[in-house]
Amino acid sequence: MDEKKDIYFKIFRFNPEADTKPFYDDFKISVEKGVTILRAINYIKDHVDSTLSYRFYCQAGICGSCSMRINGVSKLACTTQVWDELPNCKEVDVITIEPMNNFEIIRDMVVEYTPVISKLEKYISWVTPRIKQEDLGKKEHLIPEAEFKVYDAATDCILCGACYSECSMMTSSREYISPLALLKAFRMVKDSRDTRSQDRMKVLNEDHGMWDCTHCYRCVQACVKNIPIMDAIQGVRNEAFLRGMKNSEGYRHAYAFTQDIKSTGRLKESTIAVRTKGIFGSVSMLPFALKMMSRNRMPHFFVKTIPGIKYVKKIFQKLK
Amino acid sequence: MQPYDIIIVGAGGGGMYAAMEALQTNPKLKIAVVSKVYPTRSHTSAAQGGVNAALANRHKDDTIDLHIFDTIKGSDYLADQDAAAILCEMAPYVVREMENLGAPFSRMEDGTIAQRPFGGAQKYRCCYCADRTGHTLLQALFEQCLRQGVKFFSEYYLLSIEHDGDKAKGVVVMNMQTGKIDAMPARSVIIATGGYAKMYWQKSSNAAGSTGDGIAAALRAGLALEDMEFVQFHPTGLRKSGLLISEGARGEGGYLVNNKGERFMKTYAPEKMELGPRDLVSRSIEIEINEGRGFDSDAGQYMHLDLRHLGAKLIKERLPQIRQLAIDFEGVDPIDEPIPIRPTAHYSMGGIDVNNDGHTAIKGIYAVGECSCVSVHGANRLGGNSLLEVLVFGKLAGRHAAQNAPSLTPGAISTAAVEKSVKEIEAYGHHDRTERYGELRDELGKTLGANAGIYRTKKKLEKGIEEIMEIKERFKNVRVNDGSVIFNTNLFQVLELKNMIALAETVARGALAREESRGSHSREDFPVRDDAKWHKHSIFHMNDQGEITLSTKPVTMGKYELQERKY
Repeated sequence: MDEKKDIYFKIFRFNPEADTKPFYDDFKISVEKGVTILRAINYIKDHVDSTLSYRFYCQAGICGSCSMRINGVSKLACTTQVWDELPNCKEVDVITIEPMNNFEIIRDMVVEYTPVISKLEKYISWVTPRIKQEDLGKKEHLIPEAEFKVYDAATDCILCGACYSECSMMTSSREYISPLALLKAFRMVKDSRDTRSQDRMKVLNEDHGMWDCTHCYRCVQACVKNIPIMDAIQGVRNEAFLRGMKNSEGYRHAYAFTQDIKSTGRLKESTIAVRTKGIFGSVSMLPFALKMMSRNRMPHFFVKTIPGIKYVKKIFQKLK
Repeated sequence: MQPYDIIIVGAGGGGMYAAMEALQTNPKLKIAVVSKVYPTRSHTSAAQGGVNAALANRHKDDTIDLHIFDTIKGSDYLADQDAAAILCEMAPYVVREMENLGAPFSRMEDGTIAQRPFGGAQKYRCCYCADRTGHTLLQALFEQCLRQGVKFFSEYYLLSIEHDGDKAKGVVVMNMQTGKIDAMPARSVIIATGGYAKMYWQKSSNAAGSTGDGIAAALRAGLALEDMEFVQFHPTGLRKSGLLISEGARGEGGYLVNNKGERFMKTYAPEKMELGPRDLVSRSIEIEINEGRGFDSDAGQYMHLDLRHLGAKLIKERLPQIRQLAIDFEGVDPIDEPIPIRPTAHYSMGGIDVNNDGHTAIKGIYAVGECSCVSVHGANRLGGNSLLEVLVFGKLAGRHAAQNAPSLTPGAISTAAVEKSVKEIEAYGHHDRTERYGELRDELGKTLGANAGIYRTKKKLEKGIEEIMEIKERFKNVRVNDGSVIFNTNLFQVLELKNMIALAETVARGALAREESRGSHSREDFPVRDDAKWHKHSIFHMNDQGEITLSTKPVTMGKYELQERKY
């Protein structure tokens, strides 16, 4: 017989029909080694409290239904072993189960998923084929393995929402495109069969689009399929440079950064806002700037060149 | 609600392909896809291996005829030969169409779609996207449906299919997020709700929702079901979850070992050993367990699939997915420990009786994919033909429905039909009811596994039917303990259990009636195929008293004569 242990599950509860605010329920069950979080909470649902609400479907890590926060981190309940979570417990043998972040809660761990689909629609997350409707199915495109490799990892995405839940930018604005939609966009932009890349790039270039990512890398950490999402985000940005899409805050921001480093090796933070947003755009930043001044956090206007600037210049030359 | 021209129930490969094709056939139609899960969650996503099509990219001498023959032979000659021909003839077309629309098929060096060998096929015919073909096809279909603006009703549960005895009226559904029950009138209804192999519960590789909802609703609506007794078992499911460890593990040289440390396949297939055909290996494991040579655990008896002798390098390079599955779901790393396995119910060949357009006997009602029985799989499905079936018949049914819907007038769905569902659902919450859902579900799975599993006998099946009827009786007293209208998963589980019980009875009754062994159906008391008596399809109806009645219909033959099935 396998090793067994008493485990406590501290589970988030909220049913808007009955509860004015969320609370936590505690369940103690005996768990055998090798049991997943999903099987453990299924046991609780079957034997202790049948009102416990969460989604699950394939139970094999491919459908993406059972994403939830386990000990504070968004992951799939079906591929997570109870035993592996024990070192992540804040209190000994107490596993916390909560709904994903950045979604509205429908009930307990069930969240409103529709915004994900709206984002996929907004960013034209499909291939619009080159081939005319009446000619579909007649022959296949010849695609070199090399092209396929570029977006191969991106096609692994199961839309589980773990990156969406962990994304720090999503937390500051639900209008943000989200890592998963950026990943899909990258996958489509790099697909030679598609004909609407230009339209897609235009939408990506708008507010809440590809330039808003803050590189916190939490999406990469959270991805249950280990997809290098940040490479895809950089990928669509590079595509913007390649296509000469200079008319965006993101482009200007990146350009200003590069110019500063090239000339002094340091960022001239005091003017970065003006250079990114333009003079009129920067007016909206004034309250923020005044607040910084009042706390004595305003960056210096004059920036000293770093001693090793010639080496920096060499790097730029090499890049060229 | 304004009537829809077409309502598609189910958003897996079949449902979404039908939606896409229907809109392409007639863009003016009002089409809705209703699904109990968000589209990309559908069980199509779990298909790994690939989709068969005689593209002849890899083996230049592959032909559509060879594909047809392999399919018919694989079916143990129970497939309808005209249907199998349509399946294989359309295959290159639908696979290329999916490619044209963005499916990321793996490539050969010349840039064409790559193909791999698969069980029961004479040639390298299986097109694939790494080992996640179903997932990528499902994503591509969802993307295309978004492109075309298909209207999705996600998290709506099918309660009943409505018709007037001649033509479709629509469906009654429940909005799972609000609990509201509504009629959705339609000129045409396409059922695409997937298979029923989850009724074996812990002994199944299927998604939790593969409970045959559409098939059970069709049965209650008076439609005919076909060949329900045929359920395919895969030899190597994981002990606790029933999830699949693909044949690749044995292909690379894995051993099957009993509790005496013996490679027991030497008794059953001395030459082929672990690489015997699926049904034979499943049967052998079953015998070993029954004779006390299995390992014990809380999750039931099991065998060892031992890969350790293959070495860490080979396991990591060639079987990474399998290793991950064993680690994730059993907590066992195959490099250090044997994988605990047992046979698992994996695919249901039976389903709603339809013609080669996916059309039922009622005008405007269709079924496609695993919920249907055309029949292209007969008594045993070939790997790589299930994804193919959803694409081909999704397309054909979608087109047929789109061409014919405008000529149908939708009858109004009576408030009585809606009321009936409302009353039934209210009744589940009554405090006098005492039966527990989980208990009935587990007992159903156990009796099916024990009595209508891999090996079947008259005695076992009679016992199975008796126990299913008891469970059916006890179900009348089942209680939904969750009183909320908001996303009441306890209620959905009970509704799914109702469907599984109804279909379990058809599986067991069909298996008892069929006194022969054919494909996935093995009768110990009738160990050989009996073409004289049983070369025919089983047909199931539910009568007014709710009883299951059986009849048969002939198999459509073609140019392939009956032969003994040998590999």
